[in-house]
Amino acid sequence: MSLFRIFVNQLEEDDEDMSQATSKKVITREEWEKKLNAVKLRKEDMNTLVMNFLVTEGYVEAAEKFQRESGTKPEIDLATITDRMAVKKAVQNGNVEDAIEKVNDLNPEILDTNPELFFHLQQQRLIELIRQGRTEEALEFAQEELAPRGEENQAFLEELEKTVALLVFEDASTCPVKELLDISHRLKTASEVNAAILTSQSHEKDPKLPSLLKMLIWAQNQLDEKAVYPHINDLSTGQLEDPSV
Amino acid sequence: MSSSPSPANSANGGDTTNAGNGQDLNLLHFLDKVRLAATRDAKEDEGEDSPTELNTINSAGGFLVVSPDKLSVKYTNMNLHGHDVGVVQANRPAPVKCLTYYFEIFVKDSGVKGQVAIGFTKESFKMRRQPGWEVNSCGYHGDDGFLYRGQGKGEPFGPKYTKDDTVGGGINYATQEFFFTKNGAIVGKIPKDIKGHLFPTVAVHSQNEEVLVNFGKKKFAFDIKGYEVSERNKQQMAIEKISIPPNIGYGLVKTYLLHYGYEETLDAFNLATKTTVPPINIDQGNAIDEDDSPYALKQRKILRQLVRNGEIDAAMVKLREWYPETVQDDKSVVCFLLHCQHFIELLRVGKLEEGVKYGRLELAKFVGLTGFQDIIEDCFALLVYEKPEESPVGYFLEDSHKELVADAVNAAILSTNPNKRDAQSHLHSHLEKLLRQLTVCCLERRSLNGDQGETFRLHRVLDNNSTRR
Repeated sequence: MSLFRIFVNQLEEDDEDMSQATSKKVITREEWEKKLNAVKLRKEDMNTLVMNFLVTEGYVEAAEKFQRESGTKPEIDLATITDRMAVKKAVQNGNVEDAIEKVNDLNPEILDTNPELFFHLQQQRLIELIRQGRTEEALEFAQEELAPRGEENQAFLEELEKTVALLVFEDASTCPVKELLDISHRLKTASEVNAAILTSQSHEKDPKLPSLLKMLIWAQNQLDEKAVYPHINDLSTGQLEDPSV
Repeated sequence: MSSSPSPANSANGGDTTNAGNGQDLNLLHFLDKVRLAATRDAKEDEGEDSPTELNTINSAGGFLVVSPDKLSVKYTNMNLHGHDVGVVQANRPAPVKCLTYYFEIFVKDSGVKGQVAIGFTKESFKMRRQPGWEVNSCGYHGDDGFLYRGQGKGEPFGPKYTKDDTVGGGINYATQEFFFTKNGAIVGKIPKDIKGHLFPTVAVHSQNEEVLVNFGKKKFAFDIKGYEVSERNKQQMAIEKISIPPNIGYGLVKTYLLHYGYEETLDAFNLATKTTVPPINIDQGNAIDEDDSPYALKQRKILRQLVRNGEIDAAMVKLREWYPETVQDDKSVVCFLLHCQHFIELLRVGKLEEGVKYGRLELAKFVGLTGFQDIIEDCFALLVYEKPEESPVGYFLEDSHKELVADAVNAAILSTNPNKRDAQSHLHSHLEKLLRQLTVCCLERRSLNGDQGETFRLHRVLDNNSTRR
C-alpha cells in the first residue's frame, strides 16, 4: 500500500472516530446556564426538603425553630418526634426495658407486628444484663424470654446462641462475638427502632435529601451517554465544570 | 451561575433598569422569579390529553361497526382476505411524558376465527391490516398468541386469547418497551423501535368478532399502578447503590440555613449535631467572613422576620442603617420589591386608599421602566378585584411572594460581603444549585429520549411522602 493510501486510510479512520465522538449532543456552558436559570424551583419545596431532613433525623428543636423562621409545616406532629427520640435515647443508653415500655405506649402494634425488632430489643436487654455482670438474671431472662423465640426461628436461635456465648468468657474482650457488647450495637438497635416507629407512622425512615443527591449523580451518568455538557463533579463545591471536549 | 438578564432589559432609549449597577444586574433574577410565579403551571399535567374512545373517522369503514359509545367494535364483514381487517385506532395518541401508557380490551365474542388483535400503530397506518402486519406498528394477536412488529411473519410471544379474556397493551417509556398482559398478568415485552406518537389500536377480522375497549374509565384487570411503582422502585434501587460523601446531607442543610439566614434553626441544628456528626466541608459561598464565621447572620435573620411580618417600613429603616448600599438607589430591585410589598400589605388589610396613596408616592416611578413595567402593572391590578386572593394576580398575596422578597433582601445583604468569593453565590444556595442541575439533567435526558418519559419534579418527590399501604 502506498504511503498516500495509508495516510488517507488513517484520515478516514479518524473521521469515523470523530463522528463517534460528535454523535453526542454538545451543550455549551452558556446554553447550559440558560437552562439552569429557567428551572422553576420553589423555595417552599426546598424548605420542605430541609424540614423533612430535620424531622426524619429527629432534630425536634431545629424543626420547631425552622417552622417559626420559615413558616414551613412539619409533615408529622413534632410531638411524635419527641416520643420517638425518647425511645431512641433509651436504647442508646442501654435502658431497653424503658424503651420497650415507651414503644408500647406510643403504639403497641409496632412490636406486635415486628417480631424481628422485638427479638433484637430483647437481645439487647440480655446484652445489658451480661454487661452488668448479672449472670443469673441473664440466664433466667434468656431461658424465659428468648429461648421460646429461638425455637420458632432459626435465625433468632443463632443470634441467641451468639449472645449467650458472651457469658462463657470471663474476660469478654477475648470473646469472638465481643462486638455485641460494643456501643455501636446499641446504636444499631436504636436505629432499627427509630425506623420501625417512622414506618408505623406512615413516614419514610430515611430523609429524601441524600436520595436526591444520588439521583443527581445518576442523572449525570445517564445523560453522559447522549450528551457533552457541564458537570457538577464535586457535590461539596457545587462547581460547574466545563465538559472536557 | 449567571442570572439571565430580564428580556425586557434591552435599552429602550428611555431609562431602563440600572444596568450599570453590577449588583442590581444579579438581583434581576428575583424579578424573573416573580414572573415565573405568575405562570401557574397546572399540577402534574404536561398538557397532554389521553385517548378516551375509538376513532370512528379514521377506521376501517365498511368492515366493522363501532358502537355509539365508541368503546366497542364488531366485525360485520366476512373475512375474505388479509386486507379487510376491521381495525380502529383510539381518538388520540398515547401521551408520552409519563412513565407508562396502558389500555385494555375485553373479547366479548371471538367470532368465527378469533382473529382479534391489540397493539399500537402510527397515524398513517393502513386501516385494513392487522396491527403488526405493517412497519411501524406492533400487535399481539389472539388467534396464535404471536407478536407482530412490521413483518408478515410474527414471533411466538404469549398465550392465545379468546372470548372472555381481558388483554392489555402498554408502553413503558423508561425502558422503551411495549408490554402486553392477559387477564391481569404480564405476558411479555419487546423493545419499542417505533418513534413518535402511537395510537392504541384494536382489530377484529372474522365474522361476529366483538371487542370492548377500556381506556381507563373502568378499573383495569392489570394493576398498572403497581407496575409503575415497581418500575420506579427498580430505578430507585439502582440510584440508592450510588455512593455519596458521608454526611453530606448535614453539610448541605447547614449551609442552606446559613445562606438564607435562619439563625435560630442553625443554632439548634448545630447544637443537635455537635456530638453526633463530624464537621463536613461544604462550600459556604458568600455567607461567611474571612475567618469562616457567618456573615451578617443576625442582621439577615432580623430582616427576614420583618419582611415575613409585613413590617416593610421597619425593614427599610434597618437596611438603610446597616447596608445603605443596598437601598441607595431607589430604583433598585430591592427597593422595588420592598415598596411593592408595602403596597401589598396595605391591600391585604383592606386599606385600599392608603395603598393608592403609597403607590403614587413610591411605585409610580417604576411604571415607565422596562424592567419593572409588567410586574408593576400586575401588582396594581390587585386594586380592582373584590377578592384579590382569588384573582389571577393573587400570587402577590401568598406566602411564597413574601418569601421571595425576603430572599432578595437576603441576597442583597450577602452581596455586600467584602469577602465575596464570586459575584454570583449570593443568588442561590448550594442546595439550589444541585437541584437545578438535577432538574436540567433529567429534562435534557428526556428530551434526547424523544421527549418521552417522566422527568424530575421536586414537589412530586416531596408529595410522595407516606409509605403506601
